[in-house]
Amino acid sequence: MWWDDIEIGTRRELGSYTFTEDEIIRFARKYDPQPFHIDKDAAQHSIFGGLIASGWHTAAIWMKLAIESRKKDAAAGNPLQRAGVSPGFEDLKWLKPVRPGMTLTYSSEVVEKVELKSRPDMGLVKSRNEARDESGEVIFSFVGKGFVQRKPNES
Amino acid sequence: MSARLHFEDFTLGRVFDCGAYALTKEEIFEFARAFDPQPHHLDEEAAKSGMLKGLSASGWHVCAIAMRLLADGILNKAENRGGVGAPEGRWMKPARPGDVLRMEAEVKDAKASGSKPFGFVTLECRVFNAREQIAMIAMTPIIGRRG
Repeated sequence: MWWDDIEIGTRRELGSYTFTEDEIIRFARKYDPQPFHIDKDAAQHSIFGGLIASGWHTAAIWMKLAIESRKKDAAAGNPLQRAGVSPGFEDLKWLKPVRPGMTLTYSSEVVEKVELKSRPDMGLVKSRNEARDESGEVIFSFVGKGFVQRKPNES
Repeated sequence: MSARLHFEDFTLGRVFDCGAYALTKEEIFEFARAFDPQPHHLDEEAAKSGMLKGLSASGWHVCAIAMRLLADGILNKAENRGGVGAPEGRWMKPARPGDVLRMEAEVKDAKASGSKPFGFVTLECRVFNAREQIAMIAMTPIIGRRG
């Protein structure tokens, strides 16, 4: 699917993921060794009142589920965005802590398309990505940006 | 002496050196297999013909490394109360296997809370790759306890 064919408002469910205590601690020991991410006892006495996942762990799981969802679509023969790399993100928010045993369900909705003067063969797509807990409350949210190929000019 | 950092230490324009992180090919593969299994992070041959012209770390991996440098360089020396997000993050240039990534964090904003014993600080975190290009830049709000 070319950039030109992508419709604003298109929403995709990316799947769910349950965070375990072991994984929370393993990720944080390597990348975010703050007491409330790696030490159960210290976390009990922190403002969070217990162990919570690194926000970047919550973000990395979005990427994992987005790739898995894309692979499922490819296997099912659904049209895929001709997606390239990403130049970054905006408005990334950790709204509520992610605790061991919590299951988050991730989604992605196209919110904006931007033409690129510098790259006429590419367009930018912005998507609002969210993760919700079991009760449907938004726990994590950001706007992702991705380059997608444009339909070549027919001449 | 490794002094604790308080809100008052985050003066506008101050640049903190957050140290460096050696990025190996094995770690690029390990992160990508777990979270971002795309050819430009996992397959050296396929990556050559990709948009980034060679193997590079996942952008989320660079974010995680920046987090590590921020935790070691600043947050674990301060009374940190957890992050609330990042208004913007830009992946500017690739982080390649073998790069020693270096980070600096500049205080862009510092506001004391009117009613509580802490203040709100916004840091601009700049991660440099081995070619001294800014690989990633991110705005990071943190909360520091007043001294």
